[in-house]
Amino acid sequence: MPLASFILRRLLQLIPTLIFILIVVFVLVRLLPGDPTSAILGDRALDADVERINRQLGLDRSLVVQFGVFVQSVFTGDLGRSISLKVPVTELIAQRLPITMLLTGMAALIALVLAVPLAFWAALYRGRAADTAIRGAFQVGLSMPVFYIGLILLTVFGAKLGWFPVGGYGDGFIDHLHHLFLPALTLALSLSAIIMRNLRSAIIGVVDAEYVQFARAKGISARLILLRHVLRNALISTVALFGLSIGTLLGGAVITETVFAVPGAGRLMVDSIYGRDYPVVQGLTIALAVLVSVTFLLTDLFQAWLDPRVAR
Amino acid sequence: MKLFSITALTTAVLLGTSVSALALERGGVMTYGRYTDSLFLDPVLNDANVDIWILTNIYDTLIAPSKDGLSLEPSLATEWKLNDAGDEVTLKLREGVKFSDGTPMTADDVVWSLTRAANPDNGIWNSLDASIDKVTAPDAGTIVIKLKYPDPTILSALSVFNTAIMPKAAFEAMPGATDKEKAEAFAQKPIGTGAFMLDSWERGASMKLVKNPNYWAMGEDGKPLPYLDGVTFEIIPDDATRILKLQSGDIQGAEFIPFARVAELKADDKLNMELFPSTKVNDIIVNVRPMIGDRENPLSDEKVRQAMNYAVNKDAIVQVVTYGVGTPLTSFMATTTPMHSGTAPLFAYDLDKAKALMAESKYPNGFTTSILTLAGNQDELATATALQQMWAAIGITLEIKQVDNASRTDQYRAGTFDMRAGAWTNDISDASQITSYFAYSPTIDALHSGWKSAEVDGLFVDSQKEMDPAKRAEQFARIQDIFNATGPTIPLYETPYPVALAKSVNGFYQIPLGNNVFREAWMAK
Repeated sequence: MPLASFILRRLLQLIPTLIFILIVVFVLVRLLPGDPTSAILGDRALDADVERINRQLGLDRSLVVQFGVFVQSVFTGDLGRSISLKVPVTELIAQRLPITMLLTGMAALIALVLAVPLAFWAALYRGRAADTAIRGAFQVGLSMPVFYIGLILLTVFGAKLGWFPVGGYGDGFIDHLHHLFLPALTLALSLSAIIMRNLRSAIIGVVDAEYVQFARAKGISARLILLRHVLRNALISTVALFGLSIGTLLGGAVITETVFAVPGAGRLMVDSIYGRDYPVVQGLTIALAVLVSVTFLLTDLFQAWLDPRVAR
Repeated sequence: MKLFSITALTTAVLLGTSVSALALERGGVMTYGRYTDSLFLDPVLNDANVDIWILTNIYDTLIAPSKDGLSLEPSLATEWKLNDAGDEVTLKLREGVKFSDGTPMTADDVVWSLTRAANPDNGIWNSLDASIDKVTAPDAGTIVIKLKYPDPTILSALSVFNTAIMPKAAFEAMPGATDKEKAEAFAQKPIGTGAFMLDSWERGASMKLVKNPNYWAMGEDGKPLPYLDGVTFEIIPDDATRILKLQSGDIQGAEFIPFARVAELKADDKLNMELFPSTKVNDIIVNVRPMIGDRENPLSDEKVRQAMNYAVNKDAIVQVVTYGVGTPLTSFMATTTPMHSGTAPLFAYDLDKAKALMAESKYPNGFTTSILTLAGNQDELATATALQQMWAAIGITLEIKQVDNASRTDQYRAGTFDMRAGAWTNDISDASQITSYFAYSPTIDALHSGWKSAEVDGLFVDSQKEMDPAKRAEQFARIQDIFNATGPTIPLYETPYPVALAKSVNGFYQIPLGNNVFREAWMAK
């Protein structure tokens, strides 16, 4: 059962990672200048109010006690209450994180649909006009700022043509997909550029490999060679890159969520950091850490399937 | 350019009147784009404008601020009287008022709500009601408020959101041991007497208000307000997206239009670009302590501050930052604040005078100082950059430090900043709130600047007891004269609230205190 022990090993590795994240996020949010009380009361804060709010929030207690309360709450599955929104953090995460997950998932899917066929095309026609055109187009996608691409897509496909809603999240699953298409496409453009370039060079490397030439010499159909030998081997490094990029996407959807008025976890995170809403920042970081770890685990499993050496 | 803005405002007002002369239509749901969501819908325990400016649609106060912010109007109380000694208010309650759940509003609810608002353990607004000693209801239709001392601001205080009337029984039935816990539960599904009630709220995405079927106020057509079936707030943080959604017809109103786009939207014949007068003032707060830490502070020299004031071309800043929408300040408080005094812009640009004042100061060769601006805030950065150039002309080198809000508040409260960009809006239609923070040193050291004037402090204490409005206005005029001439600010400009509305929208307005009033809004089909 090498696979089962591989998964078990990876899950066990997750525990020290999470403990490390618990400590780091607890310390980091408190290292920022200012605190929830000054964020709540703002410029007009009176000393008496500051004292009272600090007491109400438990911020007058020592850091060790606060950390104890935090760790205890994490292990009981209760991440505390948001200081500014006055609702349980778990409720906020349950509302907002799935939106970001759906957005990221759609972006990943669109990126694959764009990148994989075009990478093949570019690789197989390497150096010709098609290759140059594809690489050039992706280069533009990669180098334009996300908020700019977002605004252009919104203006053209939302406001002018009316094919998609101008931002927002909508009601119901189909409506959500409709609303999230443009933001997902915006995220996908830069991701697909990276995937495409990586996969193209991997394919070029594989196509020239001796075992592919051997397969060709044996008379195996080009289609079968591409699917069984070229794609599978070329994908190994691309899958690793893809997994890493998903992690970045999850944490980095903020700008896209802001431009497209998508009420996702990215915006919640930024608002909570500005508001010094410690419980939300802590809870959301833990949730994101688990999510990213799971993504990496799935990536590794897929890689292990592609290349059994990985699992050893 | 001041003339231009006034003309624009007048035109907007005239347009407003001519449009509402059309036959009004009932029904429909208006969708309004907000830059950020509300946080906590409790009248007493909230602490942000994003709550206050929406709350007033769900809850009513006994007295209401007028549309222009300068006077008071009946709301849940139909009449009121402050006794001659100024220490007792008697109010007559409106008959037949019901909460949105259908239960009648009683004198008991009023007594409980006002007592809760004035409790010093509750929230950060209770200081507005500090004079309240005891609230009683001698009969079902009368409320008597005994004050600890004569308070000329008490009637205005009863028009502030935190004294909104809430249903005692429904609130106390909420789960939770403390007032705070009950408030958090109650705010999930608030019950008030306001024109609308909360139907659903997806945090960070949208908030749906629906018409309160039990609302007490009558519309122009003789039937109860509001005209709309509901108002939906959509949270659209990005300015460009918010405008795009308005232009594409997805939403019918958008708040906080960037000044840079006001002219463009004015020219859009599908929209009404409204500039509602506000109490918002923008200035630069100057630390005037002789030493900041162990460093000598040139800004403590009054001549230096005057020189800096004369060296600032306010008209240029109004153009650069507000694209001509703002107007230079004539006092530290906005012209929409009752008892504002002053007609001419403060410290009209005069570079020669500025240079002469610098030469007379302790720092004839100039110095280096700094300003804190909010990272990501383009208006503050543009202002600071303009100041950098203007002050270079009198030998002052200005470093711009961009920080986030919590960091800035920290340095501000600690008194370790040199200068910072400042902005203010009133919560009460009275001059006392802004004066207490800006000029009266015991509150927060005059904007944490360390500035102190014994005369101003004395005048302010007197003004808080003075029951004769004319004498009180004189006291405030004197306070303004002293602060404006020697105070710890570089006054810049006042700005209206820029709101863009679809042409179909009528009757919506924002009062100078910021409240978004939807109860008389209606949409032409």
